[in-house]
Amino acid sequence: MKKISIDHLARVEGNGGIIATIDGNVVINVKFSIYEGPRLVERLTIGKTPEEDVNLVPRICAICTLSHKYATLSAMENALSVKVPPKVSLLRELMHLGEIIESHSLHVYFLALPDYLGFPSAIAIVSKFELEVKIALEMKQFGNHILKTVSGRYIHGENPVIGGFGKFPSKEELVWIKSRAIQFMPFVLKTVNLFCELDYPDCPENDTVYACCNPDKSKYGFIGDEIILSTGERINKDDYKSLTNEFVVSHSHAKHSRYRGKPYSVGALARVNNLGERLKSEAGKMYKKYFNRRWKRSPLFNNAAQALEILYAFERIPQLVNELLEYPEDPPIVNFKAQEGKGTGIVDAPRGLLIHSYEISKGLVAHADIITPTAQNIEDIERYCHIAAQKLLDAGQENKIRDRIDLIVRAYDPCISCSVHMTEIKKAPKDDWKKRLEEVKKRGSPLFIGVGKTNLSDDGVGVKLALELRKLGMKDVWLESEIDEKENLWRKSAIRPLIFLDAVDFRERPGKVILLPSHFVLSNSTLSHRLGPLFSLGMNYKQLKNSFILGIQPESVEPGEKISRPVRVAIKQVLDQIINE
Amino acid sequence: MKKDKLKIGIYELTGCAGDALLILDCEKELIDIFKAADIQSFLMAKSDNRDGELDVALVEGSVSTEREIEELLDIRKRAKTVVAIGICACFGGIQAAFLDKKDWERNFKEVYGDIEMTHTKPVHSKPIDAHIKVDYYLPGCPIDKEQFLSTFNRILIGNPPELYRFPVCVECKWNENDCLLNKDIPCLGPVTRGGCSSVCINYNLPCVGCWGPVEEANLTSEFQLLLDKGFDYDFIRKKMANFSGRGIANFLGKLKGEKK
Repeated sequence: MKKISIDHLARVEGNGGIIATIDGNVVINVKFSIYEGPRLVERLTIGKTPEEDVNLVPRICAICTLSHKYATLSAMENALSVKVPPKVSLLRELMHLGEIIESHSLHVYFLALPDYLGFPSAIAIVSKFELEVKIALEMKQFGNHILKTVSGRYIHGENPVIGGFGKFPSKEELVWIKSRAIQFMPFVLKTVNLFCELDYPDCPENDTVYACCNPDKSKYGFIGDEIILSTGERINKDDYKSLTNEFVVSHSHAKHSRYRGKPYSVGALARVNNLGERLKSEAGKMYKKYFNRRWKRSPLFNNAAQALEILYAFERIPQLVNELLEYPEDPPIVNFKAQEGKGTGIVDAPRGLLIHSYEISKGLVAHADIITPTAQNIEDIERYCHIAAQKLLDAGQENKIRDRIDLIVRAYDPCISCSVHMTEIKKAPKDDWKKRLEEVKKRGSPLFIGVGKTNLSDDGVGVKLALELRKLGMKDVWLESEIDEKENLWRKSAIRPLIFLDAVDFRERPGKVILLPSHFVLSNSTLSHRLGPLFSLGMNYKQLKNSFILGIQPESVEPGEKISRPVRVAIKQVLDQIINE
Repeated sequence: MKKDKLKIGIYELTGCAGDALLILDCEKELIDIFKAADIQSFLMAKSDNRDGELDVALVEGSVSTEREIEELLDIRKRAKTVVAIGICACFGGIQAAFLDKKDWERNFKEVYGDIEMTHTKPVHSKPIDAHIKVDYYLPGCPIDKEQFLSTFNRILIGNPPELYRFPVCVECKWNENDCLLNKDIPCLGPVTRGGCSSVCINYNLPCVGCWGPVEEANLTSEFQLLLDKGFDYDFIRKKMANFSGRGIANFLGKLKGEKK
């Protein structure tokens, strides 16, 4: 077995990686792995006091540290029935806007922009755009300044505590922040123009579901008690599990999430899609000017959405400071006596919906559940990468796949440490399908469905294979024509893998066999027009994820009953492999 | 001219990426840093990374997978000097709180179930000096900007870094704060490594010990002091262990022995 990396950059490092496997003209799969080791944070908070938990969990991520702080504070305060005074809520909002500015400006200018200008890093851009890079650094620094003022440090500040703050910033510090925010406006507006007018490639484009917090009073924002979806549905924060449905996969240390069996996306683009109509003033004008239906279908527009949110933050800060100045007295920390309770807190971190949920018993954490934005996005990242890779492959632009996947992953801003150079493309080894078939068999004894028309030469191969399997005494083999009566089949396929046998034109040598997961077929136009109808027969997503296509390249599909020689050879190989235990 | 620049690599193992991010947070100095040194590898900041010989490797994060062990051994081979940056690299950090391997395995199972990882095998989290020789330790959670810049400068001109070797209390006195322990608030300042400018106490909050134990920390005395103030034995033990990882393993072992 041989694995060939078609990229010149032989090694791929970092704490995350994407591997796209290509067999001839078909992208077999795309897997996003988080190599970052397991940290078991949810487990190590158990037995800690609520205060200690608030110290520990923000260490999950340096970039969203205060979002973690915010979500855990809100969960704990819900669990322990703590009500904070308005000044505390306002200051928390200011701290959050600081994080949005810091994180978004770092991402758009330093991680995403170099791709569009064709540079390896923002530092390299300095040679051409020194002034812009310097102002962008200052903008990022302003975000950091807010974080330091409110939380105590750039990263992992401890000033926000359950019930309030250790210390409030002075009036002078707040006024300085306000005036500085106003000074930045011209550059911020330019930033929005720049990122909304970038030439985003039109691949990949596909529909998805977007989820974010729903701020009350129909405002834009990052905090709320319920989750709003682009389908219009709303989910109370306490029912967050009906959105996330987390599960473990073997190729990553991050858990994956699906809503109603489907991938969904969170982040700036999700917020602008769901709440954009609520933007006012300059941000509202920019939204009206730039938002269009492509934003609903392409993750690349996340960069544009982030720029829009930077503008929102800069417009909100002066108002927020005014509101804060209406409370000259600094309220003391609200103490709590409760020893028992359950609570969930949600906040939209820069990268999207972040959920913390705790159970407190005898004054200590008894259960913790933390769901991060990147974990929720991984499934959609894999899906969009697959769509793009297959489209580029179809267009004969295989050499563009690696860069495009990098672009998509980076647009999601998955986590800074894994957002730079992470794609590896693998050529599948010869007869890759044999190994894959053995892997599928490990999931359970497969069910087979033969597909195709026997009066069109090689197109009959699927039916022929199915009939041969029956002759060999295999049960659970169906023909396409028998399917409508087979409710029983869907029930069985919930636990056992389902394999469609079919002639598929991959533009390969006749007789070539490919085995690939069915859900990827939907992003492959060659296959989907044919097999699409089969999938609408009432299969749920779980069944779809457990079903596969075994395709054989036909030589001819002219009218006739004869099956060509190379396809006959393939039939024999496939039968041997299926029967072989 | 370019030939003379020191070749530097910045690497991240398992952690929050806060130390690498803090380097990017040196907004005013960042362009100069890249001009003064030849940054060969810095995944967070650039994509044209190379894996060649290095003068200095800065390594953040704890070692938590087999892949990271290999990566770390490779870094050590290529680099003349290795600096551990941040508490995870220095002491293992919060993820090294499960000091007992069996305890770690049990908790791993609670989170991931029986699934067998195909991409890399996770291992019991440890600081980097459990696997390689470390030349200097730059502590912090995350590292402090001033201390990082001074260390970086000294390394650039060929001098060893000069780090604070005193507890948070010293800085706290410089900042003229009232002692929180005198107000019966459980503060870990006396046993925690300084360098953060006593930030939490400046904000009227107790030190949580996030930089790990200072050299020659009198842990026994801090423990007794908190016991005398009426705090619960387990509460103190857990509090002291929250961030310190391996840095406090000996003390906890001793404590366990005494209790028996």
